[in-house]
Amino acid sequence: MILLLFFILSVVLSAVTLVSRNKAFTRVMVLLFAAVLIAITVHAWLSRGRTELEYFTYDSTAVLLLSVLALLTLPTVYHGFIYTRDDTVKRHNIYHSGLIALMAFMAGAYLANTMTVLWIFVEATTLAVAVLIYHDRTEMALEATWKYVFICSTGIALAYLGILFLGFIYGRGDAPNLSFSSFGAVISSANPLYLKIAFIFVLVGFSTKMGLFPMHTVTIDAHSVAPPPVSALISTTLMNVGFLAIYRVYTLFSGTPVLSFMNHVLILAGVLSLLVAAGYMLKAKHLKRMLAYSSLENMGLVALALGAGSYGYYAALLLIVLHSLAKSSLFYQMGQLSRILHTFRLDDSGRYMKLYPAGAMVLMTGMICILAIPPSGMFISELMIFRAMVANSQWFILATAVILLSFIIYAMSVRVMHVSFSTPRNEGEFKLPGPVNPVETVSQFILLAIVIMICFWQPPFLTDLISNSIASLPGLK
Amino acid sequence: MINYLIVLFAITLIYFASAERLSTYVRLVALQGLLLCGIAVFELKEVNLGNLLFIVAETLLFKTLVLPYLLSRIIRRSGVTKVHRQAVPGFYLLLFSIAGLLISVILAMILVNPVINTIYLAIAMFTLFTGLLLIVTHKLIISHLIGFLVVENAVFLFSLAVGNEMPMLINIGILLDLFVGVLILGFFGLRLKPHTNELTMLKD
Repeated sequence: MILLLFFILSVVLSAVTLVSRNKAFTRVMVLLFAAVLIAITVHAWLSRGRTELEYFTYDSTAVLLLSVLALLTLPTVYHGFIYTRDDTVKRHNIYHSGLIALMAFMAGAYLANTMTVLWIFVEATTLAVAVLIYHDRTEMALEATWKYVFICSTGIALAYLGILFLGFIYGRGDAPNLSFSSFGAVISSANPLYLKIAFIFVLVGFSTKMGLFPMHTVTIDAHSVAPPPVSALISTTLMNVGFLAIYRVYTLFSGTPVLSFMNHVLILAGVLSLLVAAGYMLKAKHLKRMLAYSSLENMGLVALALGAGSYGYYAALLLIVLHSLAKSSLFYQMGQLSRILHTFRLDDSGRYMKLYPAGAMVLMTGMICILAIPPSGMFISELMIFRAMVANSQWFILATAVILLSFIIYAMSVRVMHVSFSTPRNEGEFKLPGPVNPVETVSQFILLAIVIMICFWQPPFLTDLISNSIASLPGLK
Repeated sequence: MINYLIVLFAITLIYFASAERLSTYVRLVALQGLLLCGIAVFELKEVNLGNLLFIVAETLLFKTLVLPYLLSRIIRRSGVTKVHRQAVPGFYLLLFSIAGLLISVILAMILVNPVINTIYLAIAMFTLFTGLLLIVTHKLIISHLIGFLVVENAVFLFSLAVGNEMPMLINIGILLDLFVGVLILGFFGLRLKPHTNELTMLKD
């Protein structure tokens, strides 16, 4: 009942926000939604393992990802308020209505215990994100939104074919609701070829959301024009939705003979993601696109972690959580950077440390965190991935990953240092920095501090949650 | 009867590979909608009448009338009548298409399953292949849209195959139709650079 109340409140708040004629009232509604989302997360923690409304279960993985979303809700709302403060009332309200819808859809996707319900929520997120990417109403925004909707829709259609292939493994009259638990009963007797085809379709289809090779292009273009707080969600919690869909199917099939096939496919997708990310980051000229490629790199690492197995499972979930915190803080910072420098183009950027020291500190700390350089908590997860590869004697993959990561570290650090300390390569007409309050960086520093803290101490509730999430996977030592 | 309809459907797919006029594409999309309606009527004997009427209405109204109408509007607005910007010459497309049909038949024979008719499976896979081929080998946005609609028809055919057991899967497939029809064609299709039909601004 509480979950039903959450969905009803989300719909009401989104609708009220859309028709409101007062910005202050809209902001109150958005804050109310943030409180509701945090409340449902607390409820999820207290109801772990329980099923509600038949199609939603508070399992460990869902609670983990929902908690990440809840943690990012207030900073996203706060930075959204700043981003939209000069907009017209109509545009301001459409943005916040879309934001509420997106967060509610993501929460639904996390909690879904049935493949079809998960798919419906994923499809719904595309609609909400389209509204948010198109926020600035420019020709570029239209193009980016078009690409996002088109590629996502193709991906969603392919993912649906994967679900249909899962449907084919049932005989007549067998569990027709495609829930993960009912699959568990018939999956061991399924034709492995059907499982392989279903996995490929699901992987390729949901890659549009996870931002993994080969469907990564969809998010890269979206980042170029999306408002920074929206980029923060696309690059973190929305990618987590895609990850979850793939992870659910992976977990479901992990007890069948297709496990090694899935691992090989994931490793291939992971290595290719790293390769593409390294190549494009070396020639990146747009800061937000560079961060988008960094997300591709991290999702590639997550795929490698799953493919490596054993320690990799834990590392994958830890990386998903930490990447969400670090990347969102960097994207929030992009909002302030654009107000100071009036551009995201690298050639036109520079002297950020002099113009806005607090922002430059976020940029550099965020860079250290996202590149998994100690004391970033992401260092621990990457170390665990490499450990899993060593345990499996996957030396060639390990060497390839390390070389590609070296290129990525070089590309990103050179660019961040340039923005912070160098003079702009194209010294055009000097534009006065816009008004930015250093207080705006507080939420970013808090998120980065959590990432650094994880390097030294992982709270027991986090380790328990991750351990429970991966408990059903094979080969854990 | 159902086999005849499926074979007719396969012929429309081969025609896609050889057609050069966008108006032909639109007619083929409408014809596919009509054929899918016939296949649904003959195949779904075990679903309740209300659900069957909903599916028939969706295929007739939406796939046969609304989507082709929206496509025609986009074509008229853009002023582009022929698919003159293909990445691959038409002759090779036809060869690819026939090869795709052969591969689909072989795959369907490998994937024999008591739940699904082999001809269904073969043609559904061929439909998916044709849709993806249209997206990959054509440069115009309108061709991509038509490719996507063909992929959607593949999804619909696949869902019809298990429709008697899981009618919910067809309804969800229809949700995808409505979503794409209204949002992609109705909103973006009518707004995106009508004269050039190209996307060039977002690059690395």
